[in-house]
Amino acid sequence: MNLAPYRKKSPWILHYNAGGCNGCDIEILACLSPKYDIERFGMINTGNPKQSDILLVTGPVTKRSRERLVEIYAQMPEPKVVISCGACASTGGVFRGMYNCEGGVDQFIPVDVYVCGCGTRPEQIIDGVVQALAILEKKTKGLEESVKLKKEAVKEGHQLNRRHIADEIKPVLT
Amino acid sequence: MKKIETNLADLKKDIGAFYKPELHHFIVMNAVQCGDKMEVQWFFNDYAYPGETTCFYALISPEEEVPGMKDIVASAWVAEAELVDLMNIKVENTMKGFVLEPDFESGPLLKKK
Amino acid sequence: MGRQYEIPVGAQHISLLEPLHFKFTTENEKIIRTDANVYYVHRGIEQACCSKFKFRQVSFVVGRVCGLCSISHTTAYSQVAEKLLKLDIPKRAKYLRMLVIELDRIHSHLLCLSHVAENSGFEALFMKTMQYREFSMELLEAVCGNRIQYDFSIVGGVARDLKPETGQLILQRLKNFMPQLEELVGIYQHNRTLSLKNKGVGVLSKDDALRLNVVGPFARAAGLAVDVRNETEDLLPWKEVGFEMITDTAGDVHARNMIRLREIYISIRIIQNIINGLPESALLTETKAFPDGEATVRLEAPRGELFYYAKGNKTQVLERLKIKAPTFSNVAGMVHAFTGNEYGSAAAIIASYDPCLSCTAR
Repeated sequence: MNLAPYRKKSPWILHYNAGGCNGCDIEILACLSPKYDIERFGMINTGNPKQSDILLVTGPVTKRSRERLVEIYAQMPEPKVVISCGACASTGGVFRGMYNCEGGVDQFIPVDVYVCGCGTRPEQIIDGVVQALAILEKKTKGLEESVKLKKEAVKEGHQLNRRHIADEIKPVLT
Repeated sequence: MKKIETNLADLKKDIGAFYKPELHHFIVMNAVQCGDKMEVQWFFNDYAYPGETTCFYALISPEEEVPGMKDIVASAWVAEAELVDLMNIKVENTMKGFVLEPDFESGPLLKKK
Repeated sequence: MGRQYEIPVGAQHISLLEPLHFKFTTENEKIIRTDANVYYVHRGIEQACCSKFKFRQVSFVVGRVCGLCSISHTTAYSQVAEKLLKLDIPKRAKYLRMLVIELDRIHSHLLCLSHVAENSGFEALFMKTMQYREFSMELLEAVCGNRIQYDFSIVGGVARDLKPETGQLILQRLKNFMPQLEELVGIYQHNRTLSLKNKGVGVLSKDDALRLNVVGPFARAAGLAVDVRNETEDLLPWKEVGFEMITDTAGDVHARNMIRLREIYISIRIIQNIINGLPESALLTETKAFPDGEATVRLEAPRGELFYYAKGNKTQVLERLKIKAPTFSNVAGMVHAFTGNEYGSAAAIIASYDPCLSCTAR
């Protein structure tokens, strides 16, 4: 079943606070509320990493929450996009160098969109999420491409199956 | 702020005589480094107007064990557990690991010599 | 005796804004024991304030302790630094600080109420409350220049002045908000579905509140009249601007909701009084002194008593700064009030505590 069009129309977001000050978190909550209404992009805040496509992370990563962050990221299915919300999630911000902070989400998991600001404005979060949608679409296409292993166009009358591809690749690998 | 000096032996007696749950509330327990010694403080405040902050303090050396206040002030365990990790003092019946990860160097708030 | 099960909630959970871990030991759906792990967001701000930052910069750092009550933190720190510097600040600065604290209280209480509604399963009321809350964010932006993280109080006074037209805007918006607030009170008080979820749930008795030293709306809902605005007047003149203590007796989730809603009325009255009687004076007192000695400050944040202890040593960097946040005092009460409730209502109870863990852990 081809899931790609549905994924674009209804990306579910997962929110995790990795040690921030709550400021960006309440702005994410404000995004869900009627004034900014992020749900018009089909987004729902979900609590389950296994159902979500976009991970919104706030806060500099503290020592105790780093394992939870990586665990949540690992549980999310491909394709997934990570948005770091706020200055401290992107670089560590004012907390950079404090003894229990690691400074930036991108030290642990790959980040696709950086949203700046302390605190982040809802308009910026929406902008970041819309950029993430484009990246999600690209990643979805990339996922489909990888099955074809970027093979050249097949000549007519020649059936290509997986064994052929594997045979050709083998000498390259060894 | 009213400061009352006490020592570790008389501490429970002094605070037990002072603290009445319906008149005062316990704010927090704190520790400040004073040279080689450590000043441990217990803050209380009145419920009435105008409220006055009362501070009991005792000068201890870092190896001494501070008696736990849990039987006098029921909510003191949170502050005690925090100080054990952050200031590296010893408190009766309190374990490390409430604030910081177990593999972390304890006493980050202590000034490096 | 039934079988006992351990159910973890957190660190990441849909009903939690921040990482917080509760381990409930349940017996036939009844919670009999709770373990809390509240230090996921410990960052080490106290240490940085005493080593990395100069004492004038610290007021911006402590604002980042908590995004919900950042004005309470910056104001409390400014006050404790002013005590160390033996500085008297202008009257207009005091009034402007009170104005922003009360605006912040409105937005914080409405956020908590909407969160309780969401966790009780009433999504429509969550949306409604969040919609009505936006006016307070817009007003805070008009006054301070930012929706959150205001950095309004600085050592010696405030950073921005209030323009007369902004004052008129605030009064106009508060007037528009009054019928909306009455609508919210009607829903939170009389809605049958919400009452079934909230009445008699998460009860904390007055004796327990006294014994466990609970503060803030959590304590006032249990009948304990504890409010810093009622206890001190030397730093901010609360009684002059119309503060009034509000208590309830039930101590359950519903009582906490009602306390918060009724406190919004008081906050609106205080804001109106401040804008109508704003004294004219300078905004900032300059000094070249360095902090010396030790001082304590208490301030009523939206969640209860905020306590600052500072010790100076006549240099640019403070010797020690201790922050005691409201939720820190409530941890013992929070753990206690779960006992005897059904696991299904745990989410609503957590939201009704209005826990702020970034304050607690720092």
